[in-house]
Amino acid sequence: MSIESPRAAAWKKLPLKERYALLTRDLDWEPSYIDREQLYPFTRYEGIKVHDWDGWQDPFRLTVDAYCKYQAEKDRRLYAVLDGFAQGQGHLTLSDASYLNSIKLFIQGVTPLEYAAHRHFAFLARHLEGPGPRFAALCQSIDELRHTQTQIHTISNYNKYYSGFHSWSKMHDRVWYLAIPKSFFDDAMSAGPFEFLIAISFSFEYLLTNLLFVPFMSGASFNGDTPTMSFGFSAQSDESRHMTLGLEAIKFLLEQDEDNVPIIQDWVDKWFWRAYRLSGLVAAMMDYMLPKPVMSWKEAFELYFEDQMLGGLFPDLDFYGIRPPRHVDDAIAEKEHLSHQVYKILHNFSSVAAFTTKTPDHVHLDWLSEQYPGTFDIYYRPTWEKHQRIEAGGGRMFVRGLPQQCQVCQLAISFTEQDDRRKISFRRSEFRGETFHTCSDGCKWIFDREPEKYVQAWLPVHQILKGDCGGPAIPDVLAWYGIQTGDNGEYNGSPDEQFWRAWHDPSLRHGE
Amino acid sequence: MQYELRHQVIPAKRQTYQNVIDRLGDQPVSRYLEGTLDVQPRENFHYRPTWMSNRELYDERFSALRLTDSYRFTDPRQYYYTTYVAARAGLHDDFTKTLGYLEERDLLARIPAGWQAVLSSVVVPLRHYESGAQLVSVAGARFAYGTSVEQCCSFAAFDRIGNAQMLSRVGIALGGGTRDRLEAAKRMWVDGAHLQPLRRLVEEIMVLDDWAVSLLAIDLVDSLVYPLVYRGLDEHALLGGAVAYSLVAQHFSAWFEDQRKWIDALVATWATDPEAGLANREVLGHVLETWAGRAYAAVAALAAAVDSHLPGAETGTELAATAESRRSPWASLIGGAAS
Repeated sequence: MSIESPRAAAWKKLPLKERYALLTRDLDWEPSYIDREQLYPFTRYEGIKVHDWDGWQDPFRLTVDAYCKYQAEKDRRLYAVLDGFAQGQGHLTLSDASYLNSIKLFIQGVTPLEYAAHRHFAFLARHLEGPGPRFAALCQSIDELRHTQTQIHTISNYNKYYSGFHSWSKMHDRVWYLAIPKSFFDDAMSAGPFEFLIAISFSFEYLLTNLLFVPFMSGASFNGDTPTMSFGFSAQSDESRHMTLGLEAIKFLLEQDEDNVPIIQDWVDKWFWRAYRLSGLVAAMMDYMLPKPVMSWKEAFELYFEDQMLGGLFPDLDFYGIRPPRHVDDAIAEKEHLSHQVYKILHNFSSVAAFTTKTPDHVHLDWLSEQYPGTFDIYYRPTWEKHQRIEAGGGRMFVRGLPQQCQVCQLAISFTEQDDRRKISFRRSEFRGETFHTCSDGCKWIFDREPEKYVQAWLPVHQILKGDCGGPAIPDVLAWYGIQTGDNGEYNGSPDEQFWRAWHDPSLRHGE
Repeated sequence: MQYELRHQVIPAKRQTYQNVIDRLGDQPVSRYLEGTLDVQPRENFHYRPTWMSNRELYDERFSALRLTDSYRFTDPRQYYYTTYVAARAGLHDDFTKTLGYLEERDLLARIPAGWQAVLSSVVVPLRHYESGAQLVSVAGARFAYGTSVEQCCSFAAFDRIGNAQMLSRVGIALGGGTRDRLEAAKRMWVDGAHLQPLRRLVEEIMVLDDWAVSLLAIDLVDSLVYPLVYRGLDEHALLGGAVAYSLVAQHFSAWFEDQRKWIDALVATWATDPEAGLANREVLGHVLETWAGRAYAAVAALAAAVDSHLPGAETGTELAATAESRRSPWASLIGGAAS
């Protein structure tokens, strides 16, 4: 074979953008033998109008070969960290075993959402009409599978030595506080493809990701959890692709037709509040569950939401006629209260949860007083000091009854009124002759928009009362939840705490 | 001689997650199993889908093919995300090296005229076929029941785009770095008589409302297209002065061998399910009855086009033999239900 003539002189090189289009959207074709509406049956019923799918600007240009190469390299590095940490008993170098409660919340509450995103971005990859957004959704779908599995593998090592991690998947389907994240994502998945896109790509991945997802990763880095932190860094480039997808999605839909604007505004309003209420769990984690806190909820909310989103993003969206979310002022007014009110629920009910809680000590209370100078000492510190006194006498307060849940966000109804922070906020709606309760104006507004959806909610408290959760007594329910001895209740004196102390006590060194 | 490193030994409370322990006992298991078993939610869904209000968000009824326990099926390749992308990084790396070699020496442009015609009018247009197969696979990624099954569909969907991109790059190389051949290939896919039976078939398969039936129907087409276009033609290429095509085709044959592993295993699991097996075998028989003949006709049109450009290749004859040999593994699995 002759090799003397290298590449022909006539060889051209395609511009990158054109080449990418040829490798992705050009693969599509217009069907002739079936109706387009038969092929894409779900893109019309939400009222969104798209005139030109080619108007979609690919937010990133990644071909399959480049994707595989890059991701495989990232995973090689990540799994090397996991293996090294496991081999060196790295869990002993965490700030404290109580830190792992935040990671229990993470695998029970967040990892299943990654999985749900994996499955439903596949829905978009099948059902959006434009080949550009379909490919972007396909990439995100398998990214989310990556996140699910790397999280399972990261946390697998903790599961071997600590309580509360072992049954995350079943618990996500059954346990009361996990209905908060589960109902959130079920809500998005049961919506149409465009609402899902705004709910997840825009609101969840863009608007609030620094308040929903990132705090766990930052908490990990402050508390010696190298594997979770490495996962966080490793997911960063995926997440930035997801964020640009979210921003492109909303701009694309807004540019396609003016009639889309009010529909999208409604979704921005709904999903802001939905995600904000979900962030209540993260707020509690940030302020109460990290032995070495990163920053307070209030500070994070001001920086990541008020400055970056209200100050940076929404002025840009104003150009399209989108205003800041409805009820955003309620969230701002609540920023000094949210974490305390949610952690109070977790502390009171951890007897029936798959994590443990404890009353903050004096150093921790002083930090909270400092972070929340206007409110903490008035509304919350006295309660914690009362807990401290009870516990000094050998007691521990748990609430034995069952709380009323919000029909929408599914948190216990325990938030307070803006004009009276000691009065519980309660809203009522009537639908088909029945009364439904919500926790706030935001949740009531969401209920009233789609009552036929929210009456379907699988409310854990109702289900327990109906006897559908293993039986009538609390031990039956705990067994049905899959909770094992030591998973729940008070941290001090729990197996995790006792083992931790033994492992760190030189006089009790195990099997050296 | 070994040195003795002393380290703190901490007894594990358990070796893996409880759902895995319940299935396999308390023992260390692979990352594939930990990342796959029981991951998909099962119960207590909050709302019915607005896009299909008679179904749950995850619902076995998205297909007539059922498993008593989805996790009776596991991927014989044991692919979870990381092992999957590592395997595909290797495949694409090999392909890129091949293509680089061909481009460097301008080997694609120098293959005989008959082969040029086959590549332009049959092989490169198949990038659209891959794109259709991708839509079918990704439906499984969303609607299959159980992580072990949908995960394979997800990877297959990504694979099909990867295959389409490999074919597109061949087309670009064939056109001397321009889009000309891709444009011609697309025109042929939309208008060329020899491609219409295949395109019609793909379009009809894409809109079936049972993701698994679609997947199997496409697999019946794959089972003829891949042996014909990539493996069968490969041999003629070696003899007919088109070694460049042989070098390209090997990567597609390698992919198809990989794809066969999980599809064959899944079909076998459906057919032998202790409770749903009988009903499944009937569905499988029906799939074969409905789609095998159409697949054959569609691919025969391709074979005829190849034979018109490469007299003596006799791909039509080979196709008939392939079709016959593909029937028997199915027939033995589905027993009396096979026609």
